[in-house]
Amino acid sequence: MSTMMATQFRSDLKPIWCPGCGDFGVVQAIYRALAAVGRPPHEIAFVSGIGCSSRIPGYTTAYGFNTVHGRALPIAQGIKLANPDLLVLVAGGDGDGFSIGGGHVPHAIRRNLDLTYIVMDNQIYGLTKGQLSPTSPRGLKTVTSAYGSLEDPVNPLLYVLAYGAGFVAQGTPADMAGLAAVIEEAIRFPGFAFVNVQSPCVTFGQAEAQLRAHKAGMQKLTDLGHDPADRLGAMALAQRYGEALHTGVFYRDPSPRPTYEAAVRERQTSLGAEAPSRARILEAFLPRTSA
Amino acid sequence: MTSELVIGMAGAGGDGIVSAGESLIVAAAVEGYHAILTKSFGSQIRGGESSCRLRVSVDPVLNPGGTLDVAVALNWDDFLRFGAELPTGGRTVVIYESASGVAPDRVPLAGIVPAEVLPVPIGAMARESAGTEKAKNTVVLGLLAGWFGLTPEAILAGLHRKLSKKGPEVIAGNDRAFAAGLWHAAEHPLAAPRRLALPRPSTARKLLADGNDICAAAAIFAGCQFFGGYPITPSTEVMQFLGRELWRYGGAVLQAEDEIAGLGAVVGASFAGRKAMTATSGPGMSLKTEMLGLATVAELPLVCVNVQRGGPSTGVPTKSEQSDLFQAVFSAHGDVVRPVLAPTSVADTFAVTVEAFNIAEEFQTPVIVLSDQEIAQRKETVDPIDTSAIRVVDRRRPRAEELVGYERFRLTDSHVSPLSQPGMEGGNYLASGIEHTETGAPTASGEVHARMNEKRLRKLDPLKERSALFEVEGPPDAPIGLLAWGSLAGSAREARRLAAAEGLKVKLLVPRLLYPVSERAYHSFFRSVTRGLVIEQSHQAQLYRVLRMFVDVPRGMEPFARSGANPIRPEEILERVRQQAMALQRVHEDELQPQE
Repeated sequence: MSTMMATQFRSDLKPIWCPGCGDFGVVQAIYRALAAVGRPPHEIAFVSGIGCSSRIPGYTTAYGFNTVHGRALPIAQGIKLANPDLLVLVAGGDGDGFSIGGGHVPHAIRRNLDLTYIVMDNQIYGLTKGQLSPTSPRGLKTVTSAYGSLEDPVNPLLYVLAYGAGFVAQGTPADMAGLAAVIEEAIRFPGFAFVNVQSPCVTFGQAEAQLRAHKAGMQKLTDLGHDPADRLGAMALAQRYGEALHTGVFYRDPSPRPTYEAAVRERQTSLGAEAPSRARILEAFLPRTSA
Repeated sequence: MTSELVIGMAGAGGDGIVSAGESLIVAAAVEGYHAILTKSFGSQIRGGESSCRLRVSVDPVLNPGGTLDVAVALNWDDFLRFGAELPTGGRTVVIYESASGVAPDRVPLAGIVPAEVLPVPIGAMARESAGTEKAKNTVVLGLLAGWFGLTPEAILAGLHRKLSKKGPEVIAGNDRAFAAGLWHAAEHPLAAPRRLALPRPSTARKLLADGNDICAAAAIFAGCQFFGGYPITPSTEVMQFLGRELWRYGGAVLQAEDEIAGLGAVVGASFAGRKAMTATSGPGMSLKTEMLGLATVAELPLVCVNVQRGGPSTGVPTKSEQSDLFQAVFSAHGDVVRPVLAPTSVADTFAVTVEAFNIAEEFQTPVIVLSDQEIAQRKETVDPIDTSAIRVVDRRRPRAEELVGYERFRLTDSHVSPLSQPGMEGGNYLASGIEHTETGAPTASGEVHARMNEKRLRKLDPLKERSALFEVEGPPDAPIGLLAWGSLAGSAREARRLAAAEGLKVKLLVPRLLYPVSERAYHSFFRSVTRGLVIEQSHQAQLYRVLRMFVDVPRGMEPFARSGANPIRPEEILERVRQQAMALQRVHEDELQPQE
C-alpha cells in the first residue's frame, strides 16, 4: 500500500480551464492514481502536447513537459528510452492525439514502451474556441463547419485496439472512482496503455456530452459482463463509440508483450560487454587489408 | 615520378568500378599515402552507371582534385554520362575497353588531346584469366598497379580480405586477373612514365573514414547516448553507424516513424538528461523546424546534423550543395539564434561534431552541424587524431543547494541556468514551449517574454569570441582574401597554395562557426584585405548575404557562388584569384599615374 497522498501531486499553478471543465476531474483522478501507485513526483515525467488538456502536466508536481502540438508521444518515448526507470505519463486532447499527432499513435503502440497515454476526448477544439475535432460527430455545426461536418469521426478506441495496444480503457469524470481506477491500472500495466477519457467541454461541447448526460447514460463494462481478455469482444463494444458510453477496461492483454525498453536494455547488456572505451572509437577506422 | 595521381573510373553498375576504387584507397591508406575517394552513381537503385575518383598523394590532399591524370572507361557511354565529374585534359592518360571498337585517335573526348590513349581488351583478359567478366575491375587494378606503381601487394592483400568469403577459386581467379593486368602494363609501358612516388615514412597509421561515419564516431566520443532519426540521403550512414555501435555504450537508436518524431525523441532524451543527436538532410530539416523551436525555448541541448544536398525539395539528393545555410540560420519562428557549425573535411568532422555537443551542452541549445554530401560520403585518409587533446563538456547540473527552491530558468550572469532532469529530487519543473517565468510557470507577460528572449539570445554571445572556430591561413599582408566554408574550404586551400606558387599573395578565412555571426572575426579579416572572394556552392551566395546582414563587407569582396552538384574546383578559384590580382594591379597603376 502506498503512503503517498493525492495532494502531494498537486502543484501551485491554478488551472486555466473553464469552471466545470471535465479536465478538473481528470487531473484529480490522476492525483489519486499516482498516490495509489506510490512513485514520488520526481520519478515521474508527465508529457503533453498542445490544447486545453495539454496544460495538465503543469498542475502536477511531476517533471512536466508541455511540448508542441501532436508530438507528446515521440518526446515521451525519447524520455523513457533515455531513462527507463521513470514513470512516464502522456496526455493530450483528441486533436493532439488523433488529428495532428495521429501518425505517432500506431508507432508508439507497435514499439510498446511502458507509457500511459491519457486522451481527454471532448470532440471539439476548445483552446482555439470551438472548431471541429477528429472525434466530432458527422453533421456537427461548429465555427469551421458552419453547415455541419461532412466527415465521420475517428474512433479512438477501435484505432488503438486495431494497432495492438495491450491495455485500452475508457472513463469519465462523471465517475471519479472508476476513472482513477482505470488510470491506476493503466499505469501499472507493463507496456503501452491507453485511456480515453470522455471529458466534457462546458463551453463549446454538445449538451449530450456533459457530465449529467454521462452520469445518466454510462454503462460499466463489468456490468455488461465483458471479459477484458477478449480482444474481439472489446472491438465489438468499441464499435459503439459515439453512441454508447462504456466505461472500464476494454482490453488488457493477459500475457503482456515484452516492452521496447526491456529489449533495448538486453541489447545494451549483450553488446556492452565488449565495449571499447569511447576514446578508442576511432580505431574502427583503421584500414585493414588482412583478415 | 609524380607526387600525386587523380584517377577517375566509370562503368556500368555491375562492373565493380566503385569496389575497385575502394580497394585502391584501402591499399593507399595502409601504405601511408593521403587519399580521397568520391563515388557517383546514376539515379537507379541498382545497376545503371557508376563512377569513382581517387586522388592519392604523398602530401595531404585537400579536395578530390580537378582534371584527371588517369581516366578509365569500361564503356564510353557510361563514362561520358558523368561529364564534368570526370574532367579530362592534355595530361590525362586514357585507358579504355578496346572491345568498344573505338579507335585510339577517335576517343569521344571533345576538344581534348590526351597525353596517352591506351586501349586494353579488359573484358577478354578477365575471361581468359579468371573465367568471368566479373573480374574486369581486378584487371583494371592490375593495370593501374603496373603502370602507375600503385602498391600491388597492398591491393592484393585487400582483395583477398574482400573476397575471403567467396572461396579459394574466386580468389585464385582474381589473382590471375590482377597478374594479367600487371603483365599487360609491363608489356606496354607508358611513353612517358608516371609512377607515383613512395609515401613519406610515417610511424602512425592513417585512418580511413567518410564524413558520416566519423560524425557518428564523434558523437560517441562526445558521450552521445541517444539518436533518433529517419532515413534520408545523404545522411543515413550516421544512423547506420550508431545503430551498430551506440548500444555498446549504453545508448539507444530509434528509427522513428518520421523526421518530426526522430527529433522529438531526441528532445525527450535530452530532457531526461542524456546527450542526444539526430541527422537529416534539407527536406527533413524543414520538418524538424518546429521541434527545434521547442528545444530552443525549453533550453535543451541537442545536436542536429544536416548533410546538405542539392535543393529545394527532392532536388539533387545524391550531390553536394551549400544551400541550406539560410534554412539553418533563419528557419525559426520567433527570435531565435541557433549555433550553426560547418566541418571542412572528413577529418574535421570529428572535432566539429564534438564541439557541437560541447556548445549544445554548455549553452543549453540545439546546435546545427551543416555538413554536406561531399564530405559526408567521400572516403578520406585521416591522420591519427589525438583524442586526449579534445575536451568534452557536460551540461551544468544543479548542485545540491541549488535544488532547494530550484528555479529552472533562473536569470544568471551567464544567462545559462542549472539544468535538472527527471529523477533528481527537488529539481522538478515544467519544461514548455509556452513562454515561462524563471520557475517554468506559463506566462503571457510581455516583460517576462522580453527578459527570457534576452536570456536565450545573450547566452550565446561568448560563442562569437571563440577564435578557434575561425582559421586564417596565408601571409598576413596579403591584399587578396578568400573566404570559404564546408567542403569548399578544401578547394579554396588548394587554390591559395596554387596562387602562392604563382607569386600571388592570398589569404584564406575558413569559418567553422557560421552563426551567430562573429562580427569581430570577419571585421579583422576584411580590414586586412583589399579585394577577395566569398566562395560557396549556392546559387544565392547565402553566406555572403548572411554576412552582409551583420558585417560591413568591403566592396572588393565579391561572391563566387554557383549551384551545387558540380563542386567548384581549385583551378576555377585560381582563375578568379588571377583576375582579382589583375584588378588590383590596375588600381595600383592608376594610382601611380600622374594627375593631369
